[in-house]
Amino acid sequence: MIEFKRHTLANGLRVIAHFDDSTPMVTTDLLYDVGSRDEDPEATGFAHLFEHLMFGGTAEVPAFDTPVMIAGGENNAFTNNDITNYFITLPANNLETALWLEADRMQWLDLSESRLRIQKSVVTEEYRQRYLNQPYGDLMLLLRPLAFRKHPYMWSAIGKDISHIEKADSKRVKQFYHKYYTPSNAILCVAGNVHPDNVFGMAEKWFGDIPHGQCNVRELPQESPQVERREVTVHRNVPAAHLIMAFHTEKRVSRQFYILDLLTDILSGCDSGRFPEILVRKKELFSEADIYLSGEIDPGLVIFSGRLKNGVDIKGAEEAVWDELNRLATRQVTSAELEKARNRYEASRLMSLISAGNKAFNLAFQELLGDADGINTEIEKYMSVTAAEITDCSSMTFRQENCSVIHYLPESHES
Amino acid sequence: MGNISFPSIIRLSNGVPVYLLRGGTLDLIRVEFVLNAGQIMEETHMAASVTNAMLTEGTVSHDAIKLNDLIDSTGAVFNHTADKDTASLVVISLSRKLEEVMELAWEVLFHPSFPENELRMLKEKKIQAFLTGRQKTSVIGREQFYMALCGKANPYGRITRLEDYDALTTAVASDFHSRFYRPENMYITVSGRDPEGALPVLGKFFSVSGKWQKPKIPQLLFETSRPGRIFAKVNGSVQSAVRMGWKGITRDHHDYHGLQVANMILGGYFGSRLMRNIREDKGYTYGIHSVAGAFHGIGFIAIMTEVANENREETLIEIKKEVTELRRNEVSADELQIVRNHFMGEIARMFDGPFSSAETVRGIIDYETDHDYYTKLVNTVETITPDKIKELFITYFNPEEAIEVIAGAE
Repeated sequence: MIEFKRHTLANGLRVIAHFDDSTPMVTTDLLYDVGSRDEDPEATGFAHLFEHLMFGGTAEVPAFDTPVMIAGGENNAFTNNDITNYFITLPANNLETALWLEADRMQWLDLSESRLRIQKSVVTEEYRQRYLNQPYGDLMLLLRPLAFRKHPYMWSAIGKDISHIEKADSKRVKQFYHKYYTPSNAILCVAGNVHPDNVFGMAEKWFGDIPHGQCNVRELPQESPQVERREVTVHRNVPAAHLIMAFHTEKRVSRQFYILDLLTDILSGCDSGRFPEILVRKKELFSEADIYLSGEIDPGLVIFSGRLKNGVDIKGAEEAVWDELNRLATRQVTSAELEKARNRYEASRLMSLISAGNKAFNLAFQELLGDADGINTEIEKYMSVTAAEITDCSSMTFRQENCSVIHYLPESHES
Repeated sequence: MGNISFPSIIRLSNGVPVYLLRGGTLDLIRVEFVLNAGQIMEETHMAASVTNAMLTEGTVSHDAIKLNDLIDSTGAVFNHTADKDTASLVVISLSRKLEEVMELAWEVLFHPSFPENELRMLKEKKIQAFLTGRQKTSVIGREQFYMALCGKANPYGRITRLEDYDALTTAVASDFHSRFYRPENMYITVSGRDPEGALPVLGKFFSVSGKWQKPKIPQLLFETSRPGRIFAKVNGSVQSAVRMGWKGITRDHHDYHGLQVANMILGGYFGSRLMRNIREDKGYTYGIHSVAGAFHGIGFIAIMTEVANENREETLIEIKKEVTELRRNEVSADELQIVRNHFMGEIARMFDGPFSSAETVRGIIDYETDHDYYTKLVNTVETITPDKIKELFITYFNPEEAIEVIAGAE
């Protein structure tokens, strides 16, 4: 049981405090409710570029990292399709430094032209390093626009194209900052060796005077149900073919999420899962075969991702994946498989609670989903999943009409 | 600052050392078995990594599928890796399942069966990964650098070729295993809320045979290339991997701690000279880092980054400028204070919780470093002077003597 306390400031900032005296450290996690799904389709990659700008300093703090380092801390951030999340871990007696810095950059960020120009260049190199200069690096860039036709999940957090990053101008940057970087659009979680009463006192002191900010209503185009199979074939300079099959799912807070999460663990969460056993060892079609949830808040995807063995025909390999998926709909998973998945969930949940940083993020994210107590109550949702639910959910999800397929082939391999 | 003292050692009845790290509140226990069975012990290239990878591919009692099913059913995680200097199996288990999990660990470590068919599949998978690596500029750049530093016949410098996989047979793995996977050739770390509680179970499975001996590290021959440029062509790459570095010093050298501080100033943290110039001022890269490390018998200093092909020469010029600046002028008191505090925070994080402490302690044991390594490091971090740091840059970072590697398009 992860104990926590919750308090909302008058300006709308939600604050969560978790006390853990087994560590000398503390983590602040500041989650902004803005991600790449909130971007203009003509200016994608913006939320992530903005994350880079948040390290640019203010009039009071010219270089964000310096005070963190002086306080013996480390900090970083990430952006995904749903959120932008900033975290600082430092010795517990320096907590106030972290709160001062986060409050300062929530209000007074220096958005100079030169800063923007350099971070555009850094992000362009990030795009190249992570997506273009890696074998198979563009798989997700190809999948999103295939699977999503309306919802902004059709682009990745890095953006649709490098040209969008190059076009970002400072007027838009400022609008974005004023719209989304406000207390009422954020959740602050502090986890570690500081008592909750002190956390709330310090949060009031540093964040209490920041104006509430406008209320943002999110009205995103919703994806229409997919009615026919989608497929693309690409050729790249890679040594082996790769198969992606993606299926639409329901939203993060639905019952289906837990059923599919447990099911994907049964299929490929460990070496004795069905895919490693059947597709890799017995049939020798794939060298790796994995299935996982993309995990977004709005309806997302469950994605099969498999690297083919040399000489295997991709159509035959896809058939074999369908055989396994169809078998789920007709024959129930065994009680031994369910028991194994539950044990594995229990152990991995405990492992995820080792670090204060993980706990801080999980509490903040659960609060965004509706209630920080999800960190404690989700286990019941997993443990209560039945074999019959898995069968129903499989037949509903794993259908040709609900499937987007990528055949990613080596250049010499003409189909 | 957490407790940075060296953990207590208990010995099993056969002499195997068990290091106990207590802490945390969760009902999880982490047990790591470290064997003197890394690449430096191998006669056939990759024998160490293949032997280690085959541990969970079947034992005398269970085939691969059954074995993995037994492991996964307990909820435990088994991570096994072989690196240059050691091989290891890390097991993280629910406390209440420890006994059945340790029995499986014993089976995996000491009674693997090395089935032909599983080895064939493993090799096919490794070859695919090898071929994928041929298209990664970062991989090629790293290989070329270590070859130049250590020599092409040295286990740290040797570059894998496709034909090397032909020599990997079940006989090679089985022979490597029988020589090096023995209780007398390993030590154990146990970390969690109640590490002592694991001792009876460890005694039951791991004290049955052999008599522990201090590991014997072979004498390695090094052939460091002359300074200068190495270019490795990677067709179609949009970025180049750039590496620059020097032969350094080993952990027993009196400058080793100070070199860690010097390295941090140059490229060891987000606010380093290299990051500020090449990322935050020029925008040439997503990241640039440097490291001062050591293997057995050789130390190294390496600077590494990935930049657009057209910026790679300019990047090298700027790296040299930063190094030269640190050889000419002392760091300011302010900058040194930031680095001191950051370094102390980093050490605190390395000892935050029993599992991190266990990982940190491994480095001390593996290289037979002083048990008070971190106490001395803390002392150096707190007292080193700008003058001494400049002297370290003059001694160890001469741009004229650097090995430079570029891996990228022509």
